[in-house]
Amino acid sequence: MIEVDKVSKGFARKKVLRDVSFTVEKGQIVCLIGLNGAGKSTILKAIMGLTPIRSGRILVDGKKPDRRLYERIGYVPDHLTMPSSMRAVDALTFMEDFYPNWNASRAAELMSFFGLDFKERIGNLSKGTAAKLNLVLGLALDSDYILMDEPFSGIDLFSRERIAELFSGDMIDGRGVLLTTHEVGDIEHLIDKAVILNKGVVARSFDCDRVREEEGKSVVDMMREVLQA
Amino acid sequence: MSTGDKWVNVVFNSRDPVYSQVIRLFKERIATGRLRQGDVIPSRREIAAMLKINPNTAQKAYKEMEEQRLIVTEGNSPSRITSDMEVLRAIRTELIDGAVQAFLDSIRNIEVPIDELLERVRTKYAEESKTAVEKEKEGARGHD
Amino acid sequence: MKAYGKLVHVELHRVRWLLAALMVLTLVIQVAALVWTARSGVADIREAETIGRSAFFSDDKLSFSWLIFNTQVLFALPILLSIAVLVLYVFLIWYRDWLGRSTFIYRLLTIPTARRNVYFAKATAVLLLILILISFQLILLPLEEWLFKLVVPSDLWEPSVFTDAILANQAFVWVIPLDGSRFLVSIGLGMAGVFALFGAILLERSYRIRGILLALLYLAACLTIVVYPLLTLGIDQTYSFLYPFEILLIELAIIIAVTLFSIWMSLRLLDKKITV
Repeated sequence: MIEVDKVSKGFARKKVLRDVSFTVEKGQIVCLIGLNGAGKSTILKAIMGLTPIRSGRILVDGKKPDRRLYERIGYVPDHLTMPSSMRAVDALTFMEDFYPNWNASRAAELMSFFGLDFKERIGNLSKGTAAKLNLVLGLALDSDYILMDEPFSGIDLFSRERIAELFSGDMIDGRGVLLTTHEVGDIEHLIDKAVILNKGVVARSFDCDRVREEEGKSVVDMMREVLQA
Repeated sequence: MSTGDKWVNVVFNSRDPVYSQVIRLFKERIATGRLRQGDVIPSRREIAAMLKINPNTAQKAYKEMEEQRLIVTEGNSPSRITSDMEVLRAIRTELIDGAVQAFLDSIRNIEVPIDELLERVRTKYAEESKTAVEKEKEGARGHD
Repeated sequence: MKAYGKLVHVELHRVRWLLAALMVLTLVIQVAALVWTARSGVADIREAETIGRSAFFSDDKLSFSWLIFNTQVLFALPILLSIAVLVLYVFLIWYRDWLGRSTFIYRLLTIPTARRNVYFAKATAVLLLILILISFQLILLPLEEWLFKLVVPSDLWEPSVFTDAILANQAFVWVIPLDGSRFLVSIGLGMAGVFALFGAILLERSYRIRGILLALLYLAACLTIVVYPLLTLGIDQTYSFLYPFEILLIELAIIIAVTLFSIWMSLRLLDKKITV
């Protein structure tokens, strides 16, 4: 379980995050929803140790993250973070070189699932293709958890459908997933739990099917209720 | 899975729990005879991939259906539709009653006499079935 | 350790074209200077011969040492240029990973290895770049001597001691390892500077706008701590309390201390404070 516990960041006047708490369990798909600038990416970065927090704590399976964390958690940032001079195959080699938990056969499977070309230079990739390669690099790790930052943003409809398919397949099954989005509509029937973030504060955190069952509201309804209040 | 192709392109609404929509899909298929007693159904993973839903949701739907004795799973063998005719008949009744109830709820305010209402329903139903059959034929031709 | 080695390789691989460009530039400028200077030297002698013995030459032969002495600026130019590029590279090696389309720092900081490996790999890449460029110059010099022999007619060619030739250029004196201790001082001071700059860069990357101020203060502090004893202990004063050797020893200790602090601070920043 990933526990984000009363995490705050920023200063008294300008808080980026304020007492943010939620959990992601193994096998659960959790979606952080919020408008741009709500602090979604910052939370993922804080979990990955890519930005310091002011107070609170983040635990992964009950322990404070250390460098072995990066074998437990796969991270897919909101853009491909490999030098543009590399070819796709170089990026895969880089991952294989540095991550003991790299699963080469799964990487090959994902490459063909997305129809990606190994020889293409990263600098020449279209936005959608870069996003797919970015997912390959994160998902081909044998990790217990995956963090994905806006995996659907700025991507064409067909690529989006292809990516959404991953969530119902073996690539994700059994892992704990935390993803962020500012537009939940496409994927709302894919997620188990939603955490609505508004200006650095968790406004609502709920089990999606339970809210549908008990209040007859969709995730988008909830989002509208919270963000337009 | 022979019934596999029939599961694709299902559109879920976002205000009912996804798992109960999955159960409803099964019930509709049972009520219309597309799934019969004892039929092997897709595994949880397969159904998740086909319906493009979260495997947890598929799991929850199957668990619920097991509790309702709609499907049975013995050991490691794949799940099957129950052979209990009682349950299967109940599903049909449940679906019909549910739909009729929804229909009545929306028509009640208009205060139509029952005979006129039934006549209207009969005509409309016939028309729609006819166009549906034609569409299906066209669709089949389109696939060739 | 394995990750460190691979990271060094990654860094060098990314900078290979820059390195190649510097080598080609050095080669082209020095060879052009060599050919042009040698030819005009030969022409001068021939001209002097036609009008009788010249008073300008102590003798009428050309040595490699003569060539190096007479190509001071042009031979030093690529070296100074390389040093300038290396100083830029010290900044580039970090900022390149933050700015631009691919923010590679995300990846570098999330590989399952201690972050000090990323830090030391970058420092090592800078050091290796320096050493590679020096080695290249070392290989180039004998080749240039050989080329010089080809350009100058044998009746005008005169042998010279190779090390004398190198010492004839003021830039070579500092970068070519003929004098071990002087070379070590050059490299050591250079790397101390690199570590100080790394510290300043990481301060800026951790605290952003406030970090710029912190970085400048930090660099000023480093400089003061290193230079102040030199001024007060008075290495050039006759009535100094300490022997020059002792002052140098104190300086050495101070520089090592400042460098160790820079490294410690940088690693702490990378671990606790860095923001991508």
